[in-house]
Amino acid sequence: MKTSRRFGVLLLLAAMGLFLAGCSIVQKGADVLTAQGKMSEKDRDALVKTSEAVRSTFSEINEEEEYYIGRAVAAMILSRYAAYKNDALTQYINTVGNAVAVYSDRPEIYAGWHFLVLDTDEVNALAAPGGMIFITKGLLRRCRDEESLGMVLAHEVGHVCAKHGLQSIKKSRLVDAFKLIGQEAVQRYSPEKLAQLTNVFEGVLGDIAEQLIERGYDRKYEYQADGLAVKFGAKTGFDPNGIQRFLQTMVGDSSSASGKGWFKTHPTPESRMESLEKTIGSLAAPPKIEAVRTERFERYASSLK
Amino acid sequence: MKKPKPTAAIILILSVFAVCLAAETLLVKVQTTQLRKGPQFFSQALAALKAGDRLEKVSENAGWIQVKTSAGVLGWIHSSAVEATKFNLLAMDKSMKTQATASEVALAGKGFNKQVEASYRAKHGDVSFAFVDQMLQLKIPPAQIEDFLKNGKLGEFRGAK
Repeated sequence: MKTSRRFGVLLLLAAMGLFLAGCSIVQKGADVLTAQGKMSEKDRDALVKTSEAVRSTFSEINEEEEYYIGRAVAAMILSRYAAYKNDALTQYINTVGNAVAVYSDRPEIYAGWHFLVLDTDEVNALAAPGGMIFITKGLLRRCRDEESLGMVLAHEVGHVCAKHGLQSIKKSRLVDAFKLIGQEAVQRYSPEKLAQLTNVFEGVLGDIAEQLIERGYDRKYEYQADGLAVKFGAKTGFDPNGIQRFLQTMVGDSSSASGKGWFKTHPTPESRMESLEKTIGSLAAPPKIEAVRTERFERYASSLK
Repeated sequence: MKKPKPTAAIILILSVFAVCLAAETLLVKVQTTQLRKGPQFFSQALAALKAGDRLEKVSENAGWIQVKTSAGVLGWIHSSAVEATKFNLLAMDKSMKTQATASEVALAGKGFNKQVEASYRAKHGDVSFAFVDQMLQLKIPPAQIEDFLKNGKLGEFRGAK
């Protein structure tokens, strides 16, 4: 009797240990215990229900999954825009971006931070989940100094840190995904499950692309990313007013080239500048613009064609 | 025979017990990273770490965690590179392992993974991943970032002459 109870408890413990490996394991473990009369139907249902609740929101998408989602979103972006080929500039953008990332809330990310210039005159910047960040040639042309570039990249790093891309995935889609993933306790999916999971994956990408590329994030996410840009940028040592100098170039500009991306997806530059002014004003000792940085920025920016 | 009934209370106690046991073990959650000598990014690298590696937590300092590897190397890692193991029962009686257990591998490899991407790519020939792979190939070495900060009087070098 005592032994069987201990066995039951051990089995339960083992089931709990494997908990995160998939609901099915918990379900099977609980089923065995119930079948042997070591667990009531009610307790089994409660345990299975708890295990199913393990993953339910965007914040429980793991690093590797975020990376694979990000790769596919990046592929969609790169199917629409060509990469701007300029190795020296790409190196420079990546160095500025990685410097900001070091001082962000998420210096370490699954496959590292990566930045790319898109060959278009549209003014836009896009952040795919997992730390793959895009900035257009049109936007770069509006940056006059390294501070502006650093702050724009800090804004995009902010979107990734706050997982705004993942937050645009519909809740019902996540429920479907986690349910499918939880059902299969093997390392490789069966063709049928894989087909189902691929459909859900397509849906996830569609949700993110709609927000990121088509409709734009919720305004509150943009303001939040501005707040994070000031935090990360100032910590890096950039003059946070760099973002104001960039936004100033957008005021009253509704030319089709700049309007296509940015204006469709962001709050007005005036309202962002107003809110940024307050955030920057609250900093104890905001860094100042530095000539040596502007000089190196100009060296790289002058190679822009 | 009286039927033993593990109540919610027992489950709760066991969960707390399991979490407590696991509290000091961390798992590397990024693809690759370095164990560093001090709690800074540009500190000397002591060992290469990869996703799934187990680390024993020793202490904490402003976002950095002092850890010990399974090989006994003591060093620092940024908190964004690790996660706490929630249930560590499978390894609790064994010495720390560098290899993740099968369930951890399954956990890490599940979900949206390489297999799902391959299946997506087979369906969407028009979406090219070649440029994404190219983009991901460019890695800026820490020494280059450090030079960039130093020359630009940024980060720790702010205000330097």
